[in-house]
Amino acid sequence: MSSILRSISCGLRNGLVKNSGVFSFARRFKSEEIPEEETRPTVRKFDNVQRSNLTDFGKYVAECLPKYVQKVQLTAGDELEVLIAPDGVVPVLQFLKDHHQAQFENLVDIAGMDVPSRPYRFEIIYNLLSLRYNSRIRVKTYTDELTPIDSCNDVYKAANWYEREIWDMYGVFFANHPDLRRILTDYGFEGHPQRRDFPLSGYVELRYDDEKKRVVCEPLELAQEFRKFDLEAPWEQFPNFRHANPATEEIETGNKEEK
Amino acid sequence: MAAREPAKRIIQQVRPILSVDREEARQRVINLYKAWHRTAPFIVEKFDIPKSVPQVRQKLKEEFIKNKDVSDVRVIDMLVIKGQMELKEITKIWKQKGHIMRYWQESIEYKPNDFLSKFMSGHN
Repeated sequence: MSSILRSISCGLRNGLVKNSGVFSFARRFKSEEIPEEETRPTVRKFDNVQRSNLTDFGKYVAECLPKYVQKVQLTAGDELEVLIAPDGVVPVLQFLKDHHQAQFENLVDIAGMDVPSRPYRFEIIYNLLSLRYNSRIRVKTYTDELTPIDSCNDVYKAANWYEREIWDMYGVFFANHPDLRRILTDYGFEGHPQRRDFPLSGYVELRYDDEKKRVVCEPLELAQEFRKFDLEAPWEQFPNFRHANPATEEIETGNKEEK
Repeated sequence: MAAREPAKRIIQQVRPILSVDREEARQRVINLYKAWHRTAPFIVEKFDIPKSVPQVRQKLKEEFIKNKDVSDVRVIDMLVIKGQMELKEITKIWKQKGHIMRYWQESIEYKPNDFLSKFMSGHN
């Protein structure tokens, strides 16, 4: 009896592992073209099956959340990225966490990025990990200095300190965060140091004043102006990689841009 | 049809931070000012700073007056949020004496910029 049970459970487990999750979509959305095998010894080789699975999963996410997903892309060959509208942070993360075929239970990190030339200068990047399917996904959204983003603390408890970091470093306000305050900078520090317009040397310097018996804060005075060195060589560094793979490859989704 | 297009672009919906109109933002600023105002005796007592309560309140007024020309509701909200965070840092005594005294900026020596003071300090 027990051996029968064991064999059944084994079969179930095998079947589950083979057909489950991120990988089962390969059957539903067959990718038609299979790129040729990479043979050059110095170029990283990608697993084409994994790439097509990620592509299909990206398509599936875009199909499930057409309101929020704006773009799906593969970065660095085999990293799936979902670019979403800022209103959709909580629903998209909730979907990725709770959907049975995704189960991205783990919020690895929240990162920020500042590109001052864009209309929405900040990019907020959520790195998710699914332990169940050994798979990672990156969710990106955008905002500016004054547009609040919904806190995903209710979805992932780990987001609490990460969002405080983003607030402290970039000044992006997270609505409904339970305890939004500084985490990395000192009390009384002004400004958000990771913004590109914040100078490398800062604005103020601190020193101990022997007369006043306390630390005082003064505007920064440098003996020399900040100098930028051009360290780039005049010739091309890696001519063999001139035609390397593109950094990002967009995945075609059914969603039409409505702007 | 064409006349409607620019109008649509001007009335761009932005997501409010806290307040939906100026009156609400103003009320928040006043509430924050009152809260700071009530904290003044606490600051003088707890941090043992060489300032009196009226001096602290004078400084507080100056800090608020600095931003009197801000008119964008969302910018006002952001300043109110930062002000609230600072007030919390003081009432929980996360800040220390040095941080409080930083508001007065007593150690900064401003460079002379008019003729007479430049002359007196030896710069020509």
